[in-house]
Amino acid sequence: MLKLFEHSRKPIESIPLEDVAIDVKNLNLRFNGKLVLDDINMIIPKNKVTAFIGQSGCGKSTLISCFNRMNDLIHGCEVTGTVRMGGRDIYHKKENVAELRTRVGMVFQRPNPFPMSIFDNVCYGLRLQGVNERRVLDEAVESALKEAALWSEVKNRLFESALNLSGGQQQRLVIARALALKPEILLLDEPTSALDPLATLYIEELINALKTSHTVVVVTHNMQQAARVSDYTAFLHEGKVVEYSDSDTLFTMPKIKQTEAYITGRYG
Amino acid sequence: MSQLEINTHISVRFNQELESLKNSVLAMGGVVEQQLSDTLNALKTNNAGLAEKVALNDMQVNSMEIQIDEECMRIIARRHPTASDLRLVMTIAKATTDIERIGDEIERIARLIAKSNVPESDSFKTSMQVIGEQVLEMLRGTLDSFARVDLDSAMLMYKSDQDIDALYKELLSMTITEMQQNSDDLETWLEVLWALRSFERIGDRCKNICEYVMYLTKGTDMRHIAIESIQSKLVN
Repeated sequence: MLKLFEHSRKPIESIPLEDVAIDVKNLNLRFNGKLVLDDINMIIPKNKVTAFIGQSGCGKSTLISCFNRMNDLIHGCEVTGTVRMGGRDIYHKKENVAELRTRVGMVFQRPNPFPMSIFDNVCYGLRLQGVNERRVLDEAVESALKEAALWSEVKNRLFESALNLSGGQQQRLVIARALALKPEILLLDEPTSALDPLATLYIEELINALKTSHTVVVVTHNMQQAARVSDYTAFLHEGKVVEYSDSDTLFTMPKIKQTEAYITGRYG
Repeated sequence: MSQLEINTHISVRFNQELESLKNSVLAMGGVVEQQLSDTLNALKTNNAGLAEKVALNDMQVNSMEIQIDEECMRIIARRHPTASDLRLVMTIAKATTDIERIGDEIERIARLIAKSNVPESDSFKTSMQVIGEQVLEMLRGTLDSFARVDLDSAMLMYKSDQDIDALYKELLSMTITEMQQNSDDLETWLEVLWALRSFERIGDRCKNICEYVMYLTKGTDMRHIAIESIQSKLVN
């Protein structure tokens, strides 16, 4: 029979090992003894957009922060289980956390450009790594801004303060700052919740473009956004992954009643 | 569907999805149009083999309907289309149902021809051919008006259903006369009646699609209202 549409549902269970970017096994996280993530087992596929949805406090931001060990900075945080990237457990005691965070970039809810020029913002991480050659920095800044779809808007004012940019531009600048370090994985924690609808659409379009060269994990409390941008979606509740599947399936025929209730606005 | 400017969203992927959805329904229409054309050829040339092939090929039309329905549902769930985008998706979902039913009617006619059950009477065959050609022309015009979102052409095709209805009534009365004269072959004549009814129903389905084209462009529901009201709504 003639196949009319190219895309097809690829169940998360069918992702081969070589296409796995992050492999999470028996992950538990406690803050001061309180269980916040409860036995998480999941894989994050390479070069895809994976979204985490769920109510506030369900653990989605905590989970994404485990992928570059940002939770280490919180006092009283205790993690058990494994999070493997490229076969290596990032929670191994010999893991170089600074190096990990260059491989796994993170962008937060509110755009947080540094009070310096656009150029200096983008090459901030590179300079920290000891890169100071002007030609290299120029190329890296241009490449990162192009990848973040901001270059055409700022190329003539690279040395102006980043604080003069609009909210949407600031968020793309922050993404460019993360991209300058050439991360394999990009973690976006509610990247558009502080932006207007149009700026949101530009960021979503950027997310779609980024997956060709990066693995993207996005936390969002906006279900419609998850439906629009993600290839795979996990619904979390009280620290557990309730349902995790390809987004076509999750948003058209979820298997778990609790997921159905949440995505149709019947929850609670 | 250039008038709808479906290629102007910020999301390139959404543009591609709508474009692909539009193309798929046009491809489905193309298959059904070819099916009807082959059926009429089979009738003209007494080619039972070709008619059989048409009847079997209806499976392809059914499969296309399922795929398009699923894609419409996927787009609604994931893109939350609004305004003209929503009307486009709803129109495509509804038009797909009508196109699939047109496929079913063609299958019914093709099966009659495949069984070589068409009465030998030349005048009768010519009449079948005449209504068939007229219906084929309406189907072509309807799909064309859908592809171009052409209101004028949709209105023209909508009106042409009246001619098909009139011809159907004429053939119906002719068939009933034949049935009265050849009462020993009632089963065949009943099948002929069904086939004629199928041609007439294809006209009705095309009319539905024309209504969807009007809804798509004007945003006003044109179903179940008199032709005069439709004309006045299109002007306003």
